[in-house]
Amino acid sequence: MAGELRYAYYPGCVSQHMTRETNDSTRLVARKLGIGLYDMPRANCCGAGLLTDYDYRLYLALNARIFAEAEAMEMDIMTICSTCLMVMSTANRDLRRDPRLLEETNKVLAAAGLHYSGKVEVKQFLWVLAGDYGLERLGEHVTRPLGWLKVAPFYGCHSLRPSDALGFDDPEKPWSLEATIRALGAEPVEYRGKSKCCGFQVDLVAERTATRMTGVRLLEGKRNGADCFVTPCPFCHINLDNYQGLAEKAVDERIGMPVFHLSQLVGLAMGLSPRDLGLSRHLVSPEKVLK
Amino acid sequence: MEIKFSIRRHDPMDGENPGPYYREYIVDAEEGMTVLEALLKISEEEDPTLAFRRSCRSAICGSCAMTVNGFARLTCSLQVIPEYQKMGAMRIEPLSNHRTIKDLVVDMAPFWEKMEKVAPFLMPAGGSEGNPVSIEDQAGIDESQRCIMCGCCNAECNSLEIDERFIAPAASAKAWRFVGDVREGHRGKRLERLSEEHGIWDCVRCIHCTQYCPKDVKPLKQIESLRSAAMKEGVLDNPGARHVEAMADSVERFGRLDEAAMTFRTLGFLRSVGMIPLGLRLEKHGKMPHPYIFPQIMEIDEVRAVYDEIEKKYGLKPKKEG
Amino acid sequence: MIIGAGLAGMRAAIEAARNGLDTALVTKVYPVRSHSVAAQGGMNAALKETDSWEAHAFDTVKGSDWLGDQDAIEVMCSEGPGDILELEGMGAIFNRDSRGHIAQRPFGGAGYPRTCYLADRTGHALLHVMYEQVLKHGVFIYDEWHVTRLVIEGGKVSGVIAMELDTGKLHRLRSKSVIMATGGYGRVYRTTTNALSSTGDGLGLALSAGLPLMDMEFVQFHPTVLKRTGILMTEGARGEGGFLLNSLGERFMEKYAPKVKELASRDVVSRAEQTEIEEGRGVEGCVLLDLRHLGADTIKSKLSQIRELAMNFAGVDPIEAPVPVKPGAHYSMGGIPADIDCQTEIPGLFAAGECACVSVHGANRLGGNSLLEAVVFGRRAGKRASEYADSTELVAFPDSALRDAANEVAEILRRDEGERVYALRDEMAGVMEEHCGIFRNRERLGKGLEQIREIKERHRRAALADRGDRFNAELLHIIELGSMLDASEAILVSALHREESRGSHFRTDFPKRDDSKWLKHTLVRKRGNDFTVGYKDVKITRFKPEERKY
Repeated sequence: MAGELRYAYYPGCVSQHMTRETNDSTRLVARKLGIGLYDMPRANCCGAGLLTDYDYRLYLALNARIFAEAEAMEMDIMTICSTCLMVMSTANRDLRRDPRLLEETNKVLAAAGLHYSGKVEVKQFLWVLAGDYGLERLGEHVTRPLGWLKVAPFYGCHSLRPSDALGFDDPEKPWSLEATIRALGAEPVEYRGKSKCCGFQVDLVAERTATRMTGVRLLEGKRNGADCFVTPCPFCHINLDNYQGLAEKAVDERIGMPVFHLSQLVGLAMGLSPRDLGLSRHLVSPEKVLK
Repeated sequence: MEIKFSIRRHDPMDGENPGPYYREYIVDAEEGMTVLEALLKISEEEDPTLAFRRSCRSAICGSCAMTVNGFARLTCSLQVIPEYQKMGAMRIEPLSNHRTIKDLVVDMAPFWEKMEKVAPFLMPAGGSEGNPVSIEDQAGIDESQRCIMCGCCNAECNSLEIDERFIAPAASAKAWRFVGDVREGHRGKRLERLSEEHGIWDCVRCIHCTQYCPKDVKPLKQIESLRSAAMKEGVLDNPGARHVEAMADSVERFGRLDEAAMTFRTLGFLRSVGMIPLGLRLEKHGKMPHPYIFPQIMEIDEVRAVYDEIEKKYGLKPKKEG
Repeated sequence: MIIGAGLAGMRAAIEAARNGLDTALVTKVYPVRSHSVAAQGGMNAALKETDSWEAHAFDTVKGSDWLGDQDAIEVMCSEGPGDILELEGMGAIFNRDSRGHIAQRPFGGAGYPRTCYLADRTGHALLHVMYEQVLKHGVFIYDEWHVTRLVIEGGKVSGVIAMELDTGKLHRLRSKSVIMATGGYGRVYRTTTNALSSTGDGLGLALSAGLPLMDMEFVQFHPTVLKRTGILMTEGARGEGGFLLNSLGERFMEKYAPKVKELASRDVVSRAEQTEIEEGRGVEGCVLLDLRHLGADTIKSKLSQIRELAMNFAGVDPIEAPVPVKPGAHYSMGGIPADIDCQTEIPGLFAAGECACVSVHGANRLGGNSLLEAVVFGRRAGKRASEYADSTELVAFPDSALRDAANEVAEILRRDEGERVYALRDEMAGVMEEHCGIFRNRERLGKGLEQIREIKERHRRAALADRGDRFNAELLHIIELGSMLDASEAILVSALHREESRGSHFRTDFPKRDDSKWLKHTLVRKRGNDFTVGYKDVKITRFKPEERKY
């Protein structure tokens, strides 16, 4: 592949704070792979869907502000959060589909001295690996294949749908996460809930729904033989790992399922140490599945 | 092209062989054949005992929604050959999230009950009858009124899967059809009821409803419209609205999401205290969200200018508490 | 009690509930599944000052080839505008003009653009509003219950026997008045726009109860349906300016209806298409519906469903290419004769909508008049049936009725070996298509009648593969097929007797209209296994018959 891959890097709020191990490990892995991540110091929060509920026009304008920064950097955006991916891609779709909406949004942005012309693409780390970078090339960096691991891929819902805004993978027949798991030498586990929701959007609003949902997903993977989960989304990680205890109570069953961020699983196969990958920050210790 | 259909058979009332089990049928599919046509062929030529609903066969009556290869589809508008070529299989099951009555026929009673709960009829404001309605005013409810009540959205709904009392997407879209109608006279009351427990704020935003709606009703978008309308109507005293408000404030002040403040404001003091044991565990792993330890983003003034401009141009910001 | 929950049935139910009656709908499909939902184009009414209900009435009479009863047409056209406004008050959504008033578009056979519409989903919009109002008024719904017989005692209606499809159980339902609103019978033809459930159930029930059927020879073939599936492409497509082309690329309607071309009435356009196809100027058995010149915006905003259907079911995007279409069975002008209050010959028994023949459509229905008929006469049936119920006592329900119905079903289920129901249905549909289509003559009709009678015999001995109780579609279909065969025979007998051409009924052996002999309604009755034919005068009030030209 010609030239270095360069992205305007948008980790998202949660990855810079509560799950900063995914941000740290992504940077580490990207550096080793030679993927250029360039910070976006001005970027605001995408709204995580909540700003869409608050006011659709505000949501569009604030996302266009993010795109304007990337446009000025002349780069596409790479995020490590599925919700950021979905929220930004949906705004981008709406803006690009309807020239009048783009114009009205730019009139709002003008108040901040900004402009977005519609040229930015939004991608997720998973897509960069499985697409732009290529899994074969990733395989060349695998020094410690994870042959002993049965991994349940957890896409979560926001990395696949709405497909008319995202478009990379197939929501009915997703492949990118499984293919990545295989490239790392591990074995993907098939289960029904892999592209469903973890429940995080209602963690604080409808806790019973959220915790039960998390529990159901984890149990499905466990019953199909998974040693661990991997997810490309920090929100999914919060529910699957941080709140696994609550989920166990909700489904009345002990689960004990370690959950990796995608960047961590990649890092492990590349021989990076659990310490550098921030595995100690997990609530469910992954120690038992590390050789 | 010969295609193997694997169909879920189930008769809970059959004393001898209730199932569920899968039975296979070979269908010689011609170009353009729909899944419904294939099912008709099976039932008419091979196995008349197979039960499924059908009527208009032109994607408007909503009878023939089923699960095809794991996802809710309107079988009369889904072609066999492309689906088979993509998925490499043809597995037909009844709609999810609904009880099976027989084979591919599910009990739709809970679906209709949810509809009835949103008072699905216009309650016009006095004097609105016969008054002109502008094309723009009507455009806002165009998507929601395309619904054919096939049940695909509810079958796919992740929230309904967990909580059978959830209002779910179909009835939500129907609710917006009235809340969003300029002739409606009871917006406030409707929005208050919709904001109750198991209501619009319990949607987990999984997007399945919008992805699998065969008529492009976009139920999630209608739920978002209801939420915005509820907040603008001043229906703010519920965790969902508080959560969104906290987010909007946080982004305006810091440009970012402030997890600690959001937890506190959404749950209120007492329930936040209930989170302390989990908080201590999170703290141990360095995961406890602390307020304000991160800085504002750069050029936060630009964000605030956007807020101000939206407020000035559209006056759409909800009323603030207090 | 109302049998059928389409537009007419639900409108009747609302009226009865408003009158304080304990009202129930009995319907074999859930109300929003009824076939009214598939009506696309619109609903006519003279709303504008520059239009008048009399002009609408004239267009309707002319469209009917002077066979429509003018007293009923006057009622429909004069009351229609009020019903549109009432629907709007109920919450119905119509397309609006730039000033916010209900928009109207041109339709075939109409001298004024008076068709109110919602894109190409008008029936869907109105049926759902009706359903909303049914819920609002607390009407009880027996959904997925199929009525197997009308119970008449001492010459008056006493109730019905219905099968609950979920369990297969038969129930007796008693009522002081019963309204039939069971829709059409399009499924007796192979190529039809009608739903799988449009099997003429009410017509079979009526014949068995001793009622006649009127004007059954008049079957409307819609000019624009998709070839393989029979799926409808709305007349609105031509109303918005669509062209019909033959294989030479000619707008052939210029020959057949020089003034209004594609917007001539449906019988005229369908015959023109069939002529083009039979004379070798078709395209693989079709003609072409060309919308490309309307532009993507109009197609997407006003004909979006049509576009979807053409793409999904014919693999053609009308923005880019013309859609192959041909005529297909669409609507039944004939039906159960009823007066302007929908009263049939049997006291307490009413009929409204497509299953009824009031008669407002005569020999040919205008597009946009069926939704109107359903609403206006649904309302009137509900009102009159309420008044009747208030003025009468419940009629005794004979014990034998349920027993007889149960024996009948048991007898069917006991048959060990026999032909399959679906094969018989296919045969029937083929016979009707071939022998009783757009162009008819004595020989074809006679042969068709012979064959239908023979299929009827075999139907009596057909056996089922599914002997179960629950959701037994095959059992339902053998009952439906009985009604369809009765309707087929009624159509053939009526068509054979009418030795003239009028409206949709075209006899190549009698190609002219003959008012001196045939300005009258056909009535057929079932006596045992035979059909007898009688006639009835047409009501003419203000429009004297004249030549019909477009």
